[in-house]
Amino acid sequence: MSGAARERAAGFLRRRLAPPPLRPPGARPEAEFAGLCIRCGRCAEVCPYRALRPAGFARGLEAGTPMVVAREAPCWLCMRCPPACPSGALEPIRDLRRVRMGLAVVDRDRCYAFMGIVCRTCLDACPLQGEAIRQDDDLRPVVTDRCVGCGLCEFRCPAEGSAIRVRPEASGDRAAAAAVDTGGARGPGGGR
Amino acid sequence: MTGAGASGPGDGRWTRRRRAVQALFAAFYLVLPFLGSERLAGTMIALRVGPVDLAEPASAASAWLAGGAAAGALLGGVAPVVLLAALLGPVYCSWACPFGLLSEGIDRLRSRRRRWPDRSWERARLPRLLSLAALLGGSLLLGAPLAAILAPPRLATALPLEAVSARVVPAVTGTLLLAALALEVLGPRRILCRALCPAGGLAAWLRLPFAWRPRLDAARCLCPEVALCHQRCPWGIDPRRMRRADGCTCCMACVDGCPSGALVAIRGGPARG
Repeated sequence: MSGAARERAAGFLRRRLAPPPLRPPGARPEAEFAGLCIRCGRCAEVCPYRALRPAGFARGLEAGTPMVVAREAPCWLCMRCPPACPSGALEPIRDLRRVRMGLAVVDRDRCYAFMGIVCRTCLDACPLQGEAIRQDDDLRPVVTDRCVGCGLCEFRCPAEGSAIRVRPEASGDRAAAAAVDTGGARGPGGGR
Repeated sequence: MTGAGASGPGDGRWTRRRRAVQALFAAFYLVLPFLGSERLAGTMIALRVGPVDLAEPASAASAWLAGGAAAGALLGGVAPVVLLAALLGPVYCSWACPFGLLSEGIDRLRSRRRRWPDRSWERARLPRLLSLAALLGGSLLLGAPLAAILAPPRLATALPLEAVSARVVPAVTGTLLLAALALEVLGPRRILCRALCPAGGLAAWLRLPFAWRPRLDAARCLCPEVALCHQRCPWGIDPRRMRRADGCTCCMACVDGCPSGALVAIRGGPARG
């Protein structure tokens, strides 16, 4: 059965009632993920931060698949869940810099730094210090394509409801971005 | 969960042993989420024990149909389970599955005095095949591993895991489990285990003709047409008319029920059929 025909047949049940969820690190592209994940719960079981929770009924046939709600419990990139997955829905990643759960997006209307208030909470929260989020000349946060989408910035942001949010994308969906990942300006890095 | 009647039908040496093993498995799956271990983790459809990674065959097939070749990662874990089912039939249904324990408890409470009709297992054969076909076909069509999602062994073992590991109310798993139990209470006897469970259904078909199961010495059988062993079988199989894929789970309740010693659990000679 061709992929297109399958998508059509499944359309009425798979229609998303909620925005796409943030997946654990190493997740296969969203189109395959819900098919490969057998809802065995092992990823959630090994997560020491209790950051993985089963999706609810609002996700239709994706109910029961693991998702991260970054504002409540972000991913700390400990990388224990991918090897726990038995079905290939999560693939082990050695280098945490290759993780692509999503991409953080700054809401300029709510970010304190954009209001002229000194705040670098997201920069300090970022596990890729100085690489994924950098400051521009006006000391405002700028997310680079090195962002892995772990959600630690979203978790720590002091603004009401968080002024920086991770836009989910499964690893494969940003394969192109990973290919051009070589350029990305290096930040001050070890300085802090 | 075995009901109030400790001395109800089916109690005997084998049944007592089996209850102990079932209780151990149920306790194991309840404690597992608290360990948070990587070497001992999972639910009944995908269990990791040290270096061994076990996977339930119907769930694996379902994931392969729904998600594609990457599900081949499950293949290595399927092999030992297929071997077990080939040699013993769906033995984990009656000895390990916590849902099976719940189902047996419900059946005991609701039908202490009822008898299995003749040919009861034959009536379950077609629904069992249809259920497996529908769940696997649906997996391919909808792109979701339905046989894994709806497998009663997963529902029963994922409930404590989700509640403990994710610290959330397991709404989806809980609702599906309640629906399954409601069907057990209101529907035909042991409908999920006998006819609808994809894990048990596939294991029943995987059994090889010479696999281990109770042996009948027909010459010693003294029962009339309505036999005690038939009435005690939790699946309504008549042990005097055994067939390869009748779904016998080697629970040995028939051996416990046999008054003449015609049925034995362990001894040579091929099973009939």
